[in-house]
Amino acid sequence: MADFVEAENAEAIFTRIEHKSRKIESLLKQHKPVEALKTALEGSPPRTEDERCKSANWIVVHRAIMAIKDVDSLMSSLDSEYYDVLMKYLYRGLSTGDRPTCDQCLRIHEKLTERAGLGCILRTLADKVNTV
Amino acid sequence: MAIVSVHQFAQCVTCHAWSPEHSMIAFCPNNNEVHIYKLLEGKWEKMHVLHKHDQIVSGIDWGRSSNRIVTVSHDRNSYVWSQEGIEWVPTLVILRLNRAALCVQWSTKENKFAVGSGAKTVCVCYYEQENNWWVSKVIRKRHDSSVTSVAWHPDNQIMQLDLSFSWSFAMKWSPSGSTLAYVGHNSMIYFADEIGPSPSAQSVSFRDLPLRDILFVSERLVIGAGFDCNPMVFVADDIGLWSFLRFLEDKKATPSTKVNSQLSGTFGKFYSQSKSNDANEASRTRPAHENCITSIVPLKKAGDTTISKFSTSGLDGKVIVWDLRQHPDLLQYL
Repeated sequence: MADFVEAENAEAIFTRIEHKSRKIESLLKQHKPVEALKTALEGSPPRTEDERCKSANWIVVHRAIMAIKDVDSLMSSLDSEYYDVLMKYLYRGLSTGDRPTCDQCLRIHEKLTERAGLGCILRTLADKVNTV
Repeated sequence: MAIVSVHQFAQCVTCHAWSPEHSMIAFCPNNNEVHIYKLLEGKWEKMHVLHKHDQIVSGIDWGRSSNRIVTVSHDRNSYVWSQEGIEWVPTLVILRLNRAALCVQWSTKENKFAVGSGAKTVCVCYYEQENNWWVSKVIRKRHDSSVTSVAWHPDNQIMQLDLSFSWSFAMKWSPSGSTLAYVGHNSMIYFADEIGPSPSAQSVSFRDLPLRDILFVSERLVIGAGFDCNPMVFVADDIGLWSFLRFLEDKKATPSTKVNSQLSGTFGKFYSQSKSNDANEASRTRPAHENCITSIVPLKKAGDTTISKFSTSGLDGKVIVWDLRQHPDLLQYL
């Protein structure tokens, strides 16, 4: 609610994202896409106004989103605290215009909206501070 | 059923206020007039049309003890109306605003009123006896955007709060004045306790569409109304934690089915599978308001300690009166 403050510098954030990325690759190799997405969403979006950090985090989240095969099992195991941030990344995905990304994001969007309601979409649209 | 009465007053009602005995209602039918209707033998009859403003009347408040009506408009003016015989006599209050006035409220003692404006300021107006006119004083501290809501603290003082980080509406104080609540366009409702050196704040996110106005029915029960056309009930538990309880109107469908049938229309074109949701549509009861509820007003008589009835008005032009005593599960919070 207070004015936005840079929490960490860009270097620290990049390091954290790289670390997350390696963890995600390892989880995907173990066929655990839901765990991978949870890992990707943790600490997201990075508390910074630096667009390069936000883009780097998006790449990691995107990788995890695209690896999801079973959306229903994702929904049943994802904690509600992740709903709002996942919705924001889904809209970033939809804004890319890339066909496979949009298809996947739309597929997840349908189930997430069922779970989280229209309020989740409103919070994505209204939040000017924690943008992805 | 919580609904006591439904009346279609106009195509669209901007704002409304009740007379002290609740026998008359003043509202703006989305134009520059204020219509006053009286309930005579079970029928609402138009008694007066207050015609002074040049643009839409954005706020009306009717003093419970003074019986004076204050109106504000996008025309940047305010009028205080006093009843003399059968006529309502206006007194112009020059607010010295260069933008629209958006909201107004009499103070608790009704000797002052506050106006929020699109000029990002709040002005407080009081009556100067010797000059027989209302003086307007603009509060020095500017907000960062339009002031959509003003609320007097129960002890007749106004406090300036900066909510410019969010797109918010409907700021209200709890009856004791210890809690402040307001809503955002982000489908959230915020509660702040013990405003002062160390306030504690809670925010409640909810599933559904944003609220436009709220009402503190008691210290532990808040009713919110907005784009879902159905009032929402928020309650605080024993340790003061607020949460969404339920919609006020009975709905046959469960929450998940409700979202499904809303989606079938909106998103149906985008999702590849074709769902047949006709069965869901039939079982879902439609709320009484047909469009966004923009205003919720308590129906409290001077001397009442609790509020059990309130009215809502909205873009559908209806004014609906609700009675909470018909809901046994809410009685513990009243």
